[in-house]
Amino acid sequence: MFIDRQQPQPAPRTARPPWRGTVMAVRCVTALVGGYAFAAVVVTLIARLLPGDRAEATGWGLTLSFLFYAAIGLWCFHERRLVRVAATVWGVAVAGGGLLWLLGVRA
Amino acid sequence: MTGSLRQNMAWIHGWLGLLAGWLLFAMFLTGTASYFRPEITRWMQPELPAAGVTTAQAATSAVAHLQRVGADDVQWYIYLPDARTAITRVFEQPNPKAPPRPRGELQLDPRTGDPVAARETRGGEHFYRFHFQLQLPYPWGRWLAGLCALFMLGAIVSGVITHKRIFADFFTLRWNKGQRSWLDAHNVSAVLALPYHAVITYTGLITLVVMYMPWPIAANYAKPIDFAQAAYGLPADAEASGRRAPLVPVGPLVAAAERGWGAPATRLVVRHPNDRAATVTVARHAGASINARGASVTYAGATGRVIARSPDPGPAIATMGVMLGLHIAQFAGPALRWTLFLLGATGAAMVGTGLLLWTTARRRPGAAPFFGLRLVERLNIAVVAGLPVGMAAFFLSNRLIPAGLAGRADLEVQAMFWTWGGLALVQLARPPRRAWAEGFALGGLAFAAMPLVNLLTTTRGLPRSLAAADWTFAGFDLAMLAIALLLGVAAARAGRAPRLPVSRRSKVLVDA
Repeated sequence: MFIDRQQPQPAPRTARPPWRGTVMAVRCVTALVGGYAFAAVVVTLIARLLPGDRAEATGWGLTLSFLFYAAIGLWCFHERRLVRVAATVWGVAVAGGGLLWLLGVRA
Repeated sequence: MTGSLRQNMAWIHGWLGLLAGWLLFAMFLTGTASYFRPEITRWMQPELPAAGVTTAQAATSAVAHLQRVGADDVQWYIYLPDARTAITRVFEQPNPKAPPRPRGELQLDPRTGDPVAARETRGGEHFYRFHFQLQLPYPWGRWLAGLCALFMLGAIVSGVITHKRIFADFFTLRWNKGQRSWLDAHNVSAVLALPYHAVITYTGLITLVVMYMPWPIAANYAKPIDFAQAAYGLPADAEASGRRAPLVPVGPLVAAAERGWGAPATRLVVRHPNDRAATVTVARHAGASINARGASVTYAGATGRVIARSPDPGPAIATMGVMLGLHIAQFAGPALRWTLFLLGATGAAMVGTGLLLWTTARRRPGAAPFFGLRLVERLNIAVVAGLPVGMAAFFLSNRLIPAGLAGRADLEVQAMFWTWGGLALVQLARPPRRAWAEGFALGGLAFAAMPLVNLLTTTRGLPRSLAAADWTFAGFDLAMLAIALLLGVAAARAGRAPRLPVSRRSKVLVDA
């Protein structure tokens, strides 16, 4: 989209495998849905585990949520290996979600 | 994915901007207008003079009215007038056992408590609501607006990463160089106000974060309302006792709360009026501090004793309140408000130039434009040139629809969307460059007509408002003329000869 003024490079003309669309769809869903789950799990763990005042911990989780979401979402489009992207995003989401389920609502 | 960090970020920047760009443009434009939400409402009700009473008087008169029409309601919400508003707004939460009757927002005269004798209108509320609900049913509009804001946040971060010469580009604007100029314009509008764009986008997401990201609350509280009670000191919603007790006069409660804060009150919530368990919660004006989550104090409605006060917020809760405050900018005085208005306009310019850049970068001299290019170009015209005309139609219809007509508030809203939608279709019949020029020219004419129509249909035309130093009305009319001038310049430029051919070097990179 943006123009590189220093080093013009020809667009890469690699062969496009037929499953390219599916791969991109997986990447997009991982970024959007998985990224949401990743961010939700991370900030919820912060909110749940941060010691001290409960409302404050909740507030920090809420405040930071979209920072994590935007960062992980962009990383999904940067990392070349889709397997690594999916494993990281969904792995953290599932593992963190399980941990939160075990922890339960703060007493 | 396959390239360097900057190449990948440029790629995702393009997609994020393209997918969310049109809605973001509309959100930026209506959100920017919403900095003047009360002023727009006042312009759209020219019959009403400024409030001119204290908040305590307004609260008293509103409660007197509500006692007449809804003494058995579950809850009353009373939005008090301030220096920028002329009316008291009230909502009733009716008693489920009471016979149903039409209830909605009621606009009251702060002096008498009677429903206002002014034309029915959504006023500035319309743009404000559209800004985050996009005229869609709850909750879909808010989710879609949130998605667009998220894309905006991603586009800002990826744009900054893409952009390595951020300081040099600050001083670079090459006019009339075709694609080069659009890129420069995009960079200048984005870089110049980058802190503003980043802050307004993030704080916008935070205004609705409790809806978008409720999980941190769910992990810590059994019921979401418990969080609000802990964070903001709201008393637990008491049940009605069933035993009647007259509501104490609310004026002294408001006055006492204001003395305690040294700041005006903005809102009154009366729960179970005329019950022994009645509560009266008075909230501080959001403009009293950058933290818009103002303090509140709750009184027992039967005795007038203080039963709860909002706690001093901790750092996290205060941060959220400040983020909300930065977004809604209630604290801003006139100079800062106009500055924010102009910064908001740079946001619309950034999104608009980004969308234009997308088409300019893909146009091949001599080649027929492909379908996607034509689609994006037409959507660009429909939104960037069309929405201002729709907004002008909303204002003009306020003056042209008879003031006493029933249902006119909805007609005003319909005028905006029918005009906008109609224009989006009609422009398809024109060649793109003509459609751009004619769309902007129509907008320019519509905005230029506003002061004239106002002069002819009300007694508060520009000459008189200037003479009377009525800055709400004079400022509105002058702003309309300034916008008309801007759109006129845009029309003249858009109608000029074709742009210079795109250099081959930049073409390659824009595709990357």
